[in-house]
Amino acid sequence: MNTFFVLYRKELLEMLRNYKWIWVPLVFILLGAMQPVTTYFLPQILAGAGNMPEGAVIEIPTPQGSEVLAQTLQQYNTLGVLIITLSFMAVISGERNSGTAAMILVKPVSYTTFVLSKWSAMLSLTAVAFTAGYAVSLYYTNILIGDVGAGGFWKSLLIYMIWLLFVGTLTVTSSALLRSPGGAAFTALGATAVLAIATSLFPKAMAWSPGKLTGLAAQSMQTGLWDEKTWMVVLLSFVIVALMIMISVLALRSKPSLDN
Amino acid sequence: MDQITNEMLWTIIAPLAGLQFLLAIIALVACARAESTRGPKWMWVLIILFVNLLGPIAFFVAGRRNE
Amino acid sequence: MALVQVEQLTKTFGSTRAVDGISFAIGQGRCAALLGPNGAGKTTTIRMLTGLLTPTSGKIQFQELRPGADIRSVIGYLPQIPSFYGWMSGHEFLTLAGRLHGLRGKAAVKRSDELLERVGIAGAGRRKIAGYSGGMKQRLGLAQALVQRPKLLALDEPVSALDPVGRREVLELLRELKHETTVLFSTHVLHDAEELCDDVLIVRDGKIALQGAIGDIRAQHQKPVLLLQTEADEVSKRWLAEWNLRERPYIVDKESAEDRLRLVVSDIDTARSELLEELSRSQVKVRRLEIGHTSLEDLFMKVVTG
Repeated sequence: MNTFFVLYRKELLEMLRNYKWIWVPLVFILLGAMQPVTTYFLPQILAGAGNMPEGAVIEIPTPQGSEVLAQTLQQYNTLGVLIITLSFMAVISGERNSGTAAMILVKPVSYTTFVLSKWSAMLSLTAVAFTAGYAVSLYYTNILIGDVGAGGFWKSLLIYMIWLLFVGTLTVTSSALLRSPGGAAFTALGATAVLAIATSLFPKAMAWSPGKLTGLAAQSMQTGLWDEKTWMVVLLSFVIVALMIMISVLALRSKPSLDN
Repeated sequence: MDQITNEMLWTIIAPLAGLQFLLAIIALVACARAESTRGPKWMWVLIILFVNLLGPIAFFVAGRRNE
Repeated sequence: MALVQVEQLTKTFGSTRAVDGISFAIGQGRCAALLGPNGAGKTTTIRMLTGLLTPTSGKIQFQELRPGADIRSVIGYLPQIPSFYGWMSGHEFLTLAGRLHGLRGKAAVKRSDELLERVGIAGAGRRKIAGYSGGMKQRLGLAQALVQRPKLLALDEPVSALDPVGRREVLELLRELKHETTVLFSTHVLHDAEELCDDVLIVRDGKIALQGAIGDIRAQHQKPVLLLQTEADEVSKRWLAEWNLRERPYIVDKESAEDRLRLVVSDIDTARSELLEELSRSQVKVRRLEIGHTSLEDLFMKVVTG
């Protein structure tokens, strides 16, 4: 347990020194604010475009606050996921390629501890960045669009966090399996996309798929719903995350360094 | 919807513009302090300054060679 | 008493046997050199000792290790090219290493101060490792291997990547360290092994070709050598060519050129008197005649290439 905290602290410090603790939350905050702000200013922007015939009335239905937050989650679906994958694509392969993993793993540190310290650091940054961004989105939506229920916000925050945890873990595992960081990012993004498509194509067979998390998060934002099906999806996601961590540990165990 | 007042602009847009500015500044600092970058530093400075939001992100993700 | 006992250690990568049934023991407090050309299996052997590689078969036994304890806690390892987190300072890295070995807060900090002093980079301790030179990294590598006062210090080619000055400095450091702990280091340079070590293990193609205390090996394998050099005149050359054709019972090994002859012999007295007699009878113009002994270098070359 002691070595876990030592390594976890090292990971946090590294993310501070390479500015991850600043730029990732900043980007999530900017992404979060963008949705309510553009929604609010959309009529003005359109009017300002000026190529409307004289006297034309622009009718844009003002969306509900909860809809705007659901749209924010869609923003995170693309750019947010991309940023998480890109920031953690070298989390294990980088240390293996440079040889620092070998320097650490010849000390009495278990391979599981090594992977878990990195995974926890990934989770910490993701959680902080997403919560901050989503909270800013809530704040702007409340003042610009209309009040949003707190219950739906918290539920969707939690469900979406699990989705990001899933994507982040996928990235960690890819970087434990593959040598190239680019390959790891590509694999993680590809797997995420395939999962999303498969989940929408086969709703019956994939009823509990983690690919459902994004939809469930948006839905619970609007309805405040957290039913049995949600529980199953969450549960299965955790099981898969645990499996992926185990795979990462085995991959590292079988090849802790390149030059052998 | 009403006209945008100056005050609203100030309270809504200014903090966001400030954050973007902060992001660009931090990217520039990181660029200046990096041991080596992929491609010339002046190119990254231009990208960070002129490509909104994505410029600094691109630098943080791909700009630096092993810290 | 043996600190480490290795039996029939084997490692295969695909179809190649990098290490092929190596057995050896390292005595407590000894300094042993794992000597051999590149690709002989030295690195693989050391990596198996440190637990980075799992042996395909064979046994590694460590004396003095509490049952169930992690073998890595008693081994300090310096890889051939040590890697560090460039964003850390030397001091931070040593503190991290100390904490991973179970040192708490202040104790880890104190230990890294000590070690920086010890390896002579105290002045650079607070600087980023990214700016260190090769020699400084090697010293930092030694320091991190020493952090828990290991029972065995395993060093993989600790001086090969260094320039002559850095090499000398690290060798001096090792000379001091070998009084404190048991050392195993690999090298392809015989001279380094001779200079520092008590024992050598000469490996070739994944097998141990020769092992023992350096003094014993020298004594056992030392053979008399006779070196003859003549002027390059016709008479001498012809004599040499003719002499070369005849078999003689005392010759163990022979190398010859137009104007020179090098013999490893079993009976130096017979060889010397016979040769001197023939030389004077045929009026050969001798430039140099030297009687000596084979060096460890000769033995090493023979074992490694033969």
